[in-house]
Amino acid sequence: MGLAYGWYIDPVDYFDLTPDTLRADYKTDYVLMIAEAYRVEQDPGLAARRLAVFGTRSPSSIASEGLAYARANGFAESDIVLIQELVTALQAWSGIP
Amino acid sequence: MRRIWGILLALLMGVGLGLVYAWMISPLRVVDSEPSLLRADFKEQYRSAIAAAYAANGNLPRAKARLALLGDPDPVAALNAQAQQMLASGDTFHQADQVVALALALGENGVAASTSTIVVESNTRVATDASGKATETLPPPPPDVPIVLTETPEIIEMEPTQPVVVAESTPRPTRTPIPTFGAPFKLTGQETVCDPNLPDGLLQVIVYNTNRRQLAGIEIVVTWDGGEEQFFTGFKPELGNGYADFIMSPNVTYILQLARGSDVATGLITPTCQGTNGEPYIGGIKLTFQQP
Repeated sequence: MGLAYGWYIDPVDYFDLTPDTLRADYKTDYVLMIAEAYRVEQDPGLAARRLAVFGTRSPSSIASEGLAYARANGFAESDIVLIQELVTALQAWSGIP
Repeated sequence: MRRIWGILLALLMGVGLGLVYAWMISPLRVVDSEPSLLRADFKEQYRSAIAAAYAANGNLPRAKARLALLGDPDPVAALNAQAQQMLASGDTFHQADQVVALALALGENGVAASTSTIVVESNTRVATDASGKATETLPPPPPDVPIVLTETPEIIEMEPTQPVVVAESTPRPTRTPIPTFGAPFKLTGQETVCDPNLPDGLLQVIVYNTNRRQLAGIEIVVTWDGGEEQFFTGFKPELGNGYADFIMSPNVTYILQLARGSDVATGLITPTCQGTNGEPYIGGIKLTFQQP
């Protein structure tokens, strides 16, 4: 009963969370923001730094995950193209300035 | 009777131990959270990303919808404060400038002090316990959970808007031109300040937007014969987000304008003031700029 109450009825309230806990659509929207900025800035290093908020995974895998979500959930074609460009740039980016 | 008490005691201990385990030892790990629950520094990075995207696509409705997700009571003030912080902490001016540009655009659109309440149908969910072991999970969120953004009645400086905006969780863009920084600032006030408590030759500048809201991160350029210096509003927030100052040397004539485009204040020279005992001292000048 204590476990049920503590886990389901009144679980611990969380705040001060990290971006890796964000729901998939918010994560994808974040990736899209970075892709929109990348289209103009053309700076894969800056885009990678911005994606680093999601933790230790590689920027290209984070962006790829966003791309997969965007494709699966009916994002506008123009958005998908932007994310695709970002994925391609990050895959080609070595991280060495 | 004793047996009943024993059972009750055992039951209470069981519940207590269960709560200790569920709340402290192995609390459920959060997944599928929303941006408003992010730690303050991550919210700042989220805001920077919104500003960078806005600088790239000029899509203000999309930027507004994204900012609303952060749940800031006053998005413009949050952006201004962040711009100040970025400048103070040595971030690139370019990035701080993107944040300021978004704050300006929102200010011009009268979003200044709106309070947005975000109702997300599917809230935080749990999937694994603290050790990462899979536990019973709630069903995954629907692929495109609608987010209902409702503007509260306390909105001020708002253009007439619909009381309830229903937005997709990923608003679709409409391409619009790269944002401009609005009309040039007007020099709306220039006064001599005679206050012996202030430093000699203090040149004070206050910058407002259209809605008389002070603007941080505005670059000011002051030039004189043989010299030039740039400084920014917002480094002394205790005096106002849009405040900046500069010490003028006596007998030097200065010209001042905002880097973003403004009227030019010319012929700025330290004034001579009279103290209460008749002693002259060097006064200052206060300039006020506002977007028309």
